[in-house]
Amino acid sequence: MHSNRESNNWEWDNPHNRALLDEVFFREQDYIRARSEEHKEFWKFFERFQRFQEKREAAGRSGKRREDEGGKGQGQGKKKASSVDLGLPKEYDPRYRINLSVRTKDIEERHSSRHRREEKTGVGKQEVSACRLGLLHFIDFTQKQSFGKLAKLKKEQRNLPIFQYRDKIVDMVRAHPVVVVAGDTGCGKSTQVPQYLLSAGFSHIACTQPRRIACISLAKRVSFESLNQYGSKVGYQIRFETTRTPATKMVFLTEGLLLRQIQQDATLPQYEVVIVDEVHERHLHCDFLLGVLRTLISLRSDLKIILMSATINIKLFSKYFGSAPVIQVPGRLYPIQVIYQPIPQEEQPSRSEKLDPRPYLRVLQGIDHTYPPEERGDLLLFLSGVAEISTVLEAAQAYATHTRNWIVLPLHSTLSVTDQDKVFDISPPGVRKCIISTNIAETSVTIDGVRFVVDSGKVKEMSFDPKAKMQRLQEFWISRASSEQRKGRAGRTGPGVCYRLYAESDYEAFSPYPIPEIQRVALDSLVLQMKSMNLGDPRTFPFIDPPPASSIETALHYLREQGALDSQGELTPIGSLLAQLPVDVVIGKMLVLGCLFSVVEPVLTIAAALSVQSPFLRSAQNNPDCATARKPLESSQGDPFTLLNAFNEWVQVKSERGGTSRKWCRRRGLEEQRLYEMVNLRRQFKELLRSHSLIDTEGNSSSRQDSYQRRQRHGERKQLHRLKREHEKQESGKRKVLRLEGEESGSSSDEERGRGRKDNAVDIQDVKFKLRHSVPELREAAASSQDLSRRQQALLKLVLCRGLYPQLALPDEHNANRKDSDQIFHTRSKQGVVIHPTSVFASDPEVLHIQEHEKKETGPDKEESSKHQILAYVSLLETNKPYIGNCVRSPALQTLLLVARSLDTNADCTRIVVDGWLELGLSDAEAALRTLSSALQLRGSWERLLNVQLGSRRGDEGPTGPAVSSKDVAKLADSLLKFLLYIEISYSLRRLTGLESQNLYIGPQADPGLPTLASLFPSADAEPDPVKGGLKVTSFFTYNCLSGSKDLYSDCLRSFWSCPHCDLYMPLTPLERMQHEAVCRPPGEVQLEEDVSEQPSSKARSSTALQRQYHCDVCDQDFEFTSTEILKHRRQHQ
Amino acid sequence: MEYSGEGSAQGVFSCELCGLSTPFSYYGQKPPNTSSIVLLEECYVMKDPFSPEKEKFLVIGSHCSLCRKRVCVGTECSLFYTKRFCLQCIKMHLEEFPQEVQQELTKRKSVQKND
Ligand SMILES: [Zn+2]
Ligand SMILES: [Zn+2]
Repeated sequence: MHSNRESNNWEWDNPHNRALLDEVFFREQDYIRARSEEHKEFWKFFERFQRFQEKREAAGRSGKRREDEGGKGQGQGKKKASSVDLGLPKEYDPRYRINLSVRTKDIEERHSSRHRREEKTGVGKQEVSACRLGLLHFIDFTQKQSFGKLAKLKKEQRNLPIFQYRDKIVDMVRAHPVVVVAGDTGCGKSTQVPQYLLSAGFSHIACTQPRRIACISLAKRVSFESLNQYGSKVGYQIRFETTRTPATKMVFLTEGLLLRQIQQDATLPQYEVVIVDEVHERHLHCDFLLGVLRTLISLRSDLKIILMSATINIKLFSKYFGSAPVIQVPGRLYPIQVIYQPIPQEEQPSRSEKLDPRPYLRVLQGIDHTYPPEERGDLLLFLSGVAEISTVLEAAQAYATHTRNWIVLPLHSTLSVTDQDKVFDISPPGVRKCIISTNIAETSVTIDGVRFVVDSGKVKEMSFDPKAKMQRLQEFWISRASSEQRKGRAGRTGPGVCYRLYAESDYEAFSPYPIPEIQRVALDSLVLQMKSMNLGDPRTFPFIDPPPASSIETALHYLREQGALDSQGELTPIGSLLAQLPVDVVIGKMLVLGCLFSVVEPVLTIAAALSVQSPFLRSAQNNPDCATARKPLESSQGDPFTLLNAFNEWVQVKSERGGTSRKWCRRRGLEEQRLYEMVNLRRQFKELLRSHSLIDTEGNSSSRQDSYQRRQRHGERKQLHRLKREHEKQESGKRKVLRLEGEESGSSSDEERGRGRKDNAVDIQDVKFKLRHSVPELREAAASSQDLSRRQQALLKLVLCRGLYPQLALPDEHNANRKDSDQIFHTRSKQGVVIHPTSVFASDPEVLHIQEHEKKETGPDKEESSKHQILAYVSLLETNKPYIGNCVRSPALQTLLLVARSLDTNADCTRIVVDGWLELGLSDAEAALRTLSSALQLRGSWERLLNVQLGSRRGDEGPTGPAVSSKDVAKLADSLLKFLLYIEISYSLRRLTGLESQNLYIGPQADPGLPTLASLFPSADAEPDPVKGGLKVTSFFTYNCLSGSKDLYSDCLRSFWSCPHCDLYMPLTPLERMQHEAVCRPPGEVQLEEDVSEQPSSKARSSTALQRQYHCDVCDQDFEFTSTEILKHRRQHQ
Repeated sequence: MEYSGEGSAQGVFSCELCGLSTPFSYYGQKPPNTSSIVLLEECYVMKDPFSPEKEKFLVIGSHCSLCRKRVCVGTECSLFYTKRFCLQCIKMHLEEFPQEVQQELTKRKSVQKND
């Protein structure tokens, strides 16, 4: 029967032979499929198994004989004593230990037919049974492995301190609406409480986390620990992604996201239980959420709320929720020895100096002296900021090269993700990791294996200075609570040591808790959100710790200034839209403004780019190769344009040669992760704008695709999903071993590492990216915002400036004579700010200077030019200096006239004061008047179109308002561009001195001068300004209110003027002329006016838009006049 | 992660000896989602939570063939030798088992003591 092959000659590792067996055992329908991971593992297992079998057989032959001789009688004797016959085979065979059998091809064939197929398959009977036995043992082995994991997991859960409180927690939650669970690090509350509730039958559970990353890891952990029995029923939801399905019973989400959900439906009907984790961290959103939930309990008697906290200030939370019951769980920390080692006077850094690394090095030395290298344990060092980290890093690395037993790693949020990940890698034996970190490692990042902690006692915190309208990053002493938290990091896996580089008396003097975020940050977004949630007056909202009243006032004022709130403090249409956007007000404004014009795509990109951390890595700036590679991306127009270029190029690279984008980024010192964040955020913005009908729900690209493309896309997606699954399988959390510094030069080892990863692994980010986004669609969007025409660029800039307003800065007039590094700028509220070194204007400040030939002297100390520029900026942050970041430059006069909130002029409009701090001087009165007048008109029509657009988006309820006509938009864009690009007017630009701003206005006049003028203006509020004096013509323009100008009645300024649109020719005052221009339109444009006036809001308009009620005091009669008719009429009486 | 809704809990299995308790999704000899494996005893089965593939199952426990106690497959609770036996029953009938099994048990006990 057998062919001439002897079983002994069968080559098991011959690929052909293996393939033959694969056909029998590892078919598509079998438990293990050929070419799967397990299949590979099986053959490895099988080799070991066979070696083991051979050994056993050899040993068994000699052992068996012995057993046969003596064993028989013994066995017989015992059997009599036993009462039952278990019917067990006496001949032991390991096969009897396995409780399963496999159905494979050979067995099936034996069942189905009598034909022997051996010849055909070419595998002998013996080989088949050997393989079968191996397979049985392999499956049994994997069963044991998995069961081992399961048992270990269950044991770990039972050993957690919180396990004892399991029933108590469930009972309490059943009995009370609000329960506080307090427990320290390691007690297991974050992972276990959700599971307790799930297994107790609760569902529709939301669990909030302060950080996005925690949402993902907790969802995975809880899903894993509950053995996926809930499958997709445990999920997470963060800004860009959700694993939530209709079956989801429990979702982890950020505090901000839950607040957004409450914003959509105040009663939060989708949840029965809300767990708020880490409440002790006192983040802005968390404090606010607690306030909102407190008011929600009265509406939802069925709602269960669980607050989870470290054992910090528990009473505060309990009291806030009407003395809610507290369950306090002990933490699980090993004992930690605290050593106070205050820094001696001579090593203490003075304010401007760098940190002295010596005290930190002494700790490293101390550890080297005291603890033998075979006692493992890493060091975690807490410093206040990035600069401090690099100082100590440098010194520690020098020490490490010397001793060769430390690997020193920095850890802070501006590092690349790859570099951050290194702290989790393992050091080789005898070598310790020294991780130098900001307070990110205090709560956000947990590193196992830390035995020593060094605490500098310092932290840098962001605070908001409302007076300078500036963020400030300042160093503070930490609180006792943070100090304890840092110490605790040493005792997670075994007993530890904490070195405090301050005195015990310092510790005693620390404040007990950190200052809640709400006490120190700008509250603009918060107040806006409160308004949109109808929470009443923010001043009286019952916060757990109310913020300073001045913060709320500042926010209210700012929101009014931004047009988000009206003068009564109610939300305006744009305000309610901004409240929906999860970004800063200025970025939101940019998005809304961008929708009107054809610059949506680039605005979406820029808004997204400005809302994430910069993709340009700081560390790469000093690398000449990176700098050269970056050059083509840089735009001299400003940083937002550089970001736009980088994004567009990246999309281009992605679409042309997907997998290589990682390399492309590395060459340019770009953190690709940020670009992924940008593309996700960009999409979210687009969806939001679309859902508010601000952009077209375009003829979707999917409908444009033909079936072939769809099929292709489908196939591609399938392939991508497969890659993603494979990656998830491989990513079994294996940690890499770190290499000692010096084994190869530092930067090249980074390079190696990156390359090594690329070559043998899928770029999972690229896979996810392609799953989430349509690359052709993105490429189209990128292409449309690449190579912007001069016109598009100008329009885009205007949108940015109006969005970013009032964040404007003026270059100092003497900058041209200063070194590049000494360029200074001024904002309205802060003098002498500098440009952040990452900005294009820091490396290339000349583009902001006015060339000699572009200016002319017009008097002593007075220079005029048509080339003045201002900067709009995204951030103003004071660290060691006040820096403005992400700047864009723009022509000064045109931009200011179009975006400023307050324009005040003298009688002939040759002097214009902008927002009370900038003065524009125009010597050519005729040109001044013409320019100002067209600015007023442009602003008028821009505002009208914007209102129409914001009004029409409310189409879902009630009658749809008129949609914005694209013709009108194109016309407006055209006029704006003419204004921006083609107005050549010389003017001076300077900041007012303090004294000048104090005495800026003439103030209210006893004799208002020209009472009749007031009646000339259609808007109801055209009346003497009660504060400034002069005449308030529009909400932003006050005429003739500046003191110090020649005291002229405007009547004396009459000059002959002929209207280009009608046949008017007569002597007019500047104001009369502007008024006429504002209403006199070329015949073709009248239509627009009438369309707009039909809106219900502008009810006061009479039959034709141009006519209105005019009462003449002289003839004491009422007329229906156009303004020109009024002028003519008045002229008769003179 | 894509775990299908299949394998939803049938009930909770808990070992009468060690107290290990976990939901199971199937009881019997033919684990769901695969036709190529047959169990030689009636088992409590769940989807293998450590494998992303849905057909991979995990046997958690079964009933002792002598005393009918519900026991997990952990080596401290039970043993399979053509049938399932709980450790208590094995102790009572130790002589019935072949040398190999007896040795294994004594070896394991001594390891535990040294632990
Ligand atoms: Zn057990
Ligand atoms: Zn038993």
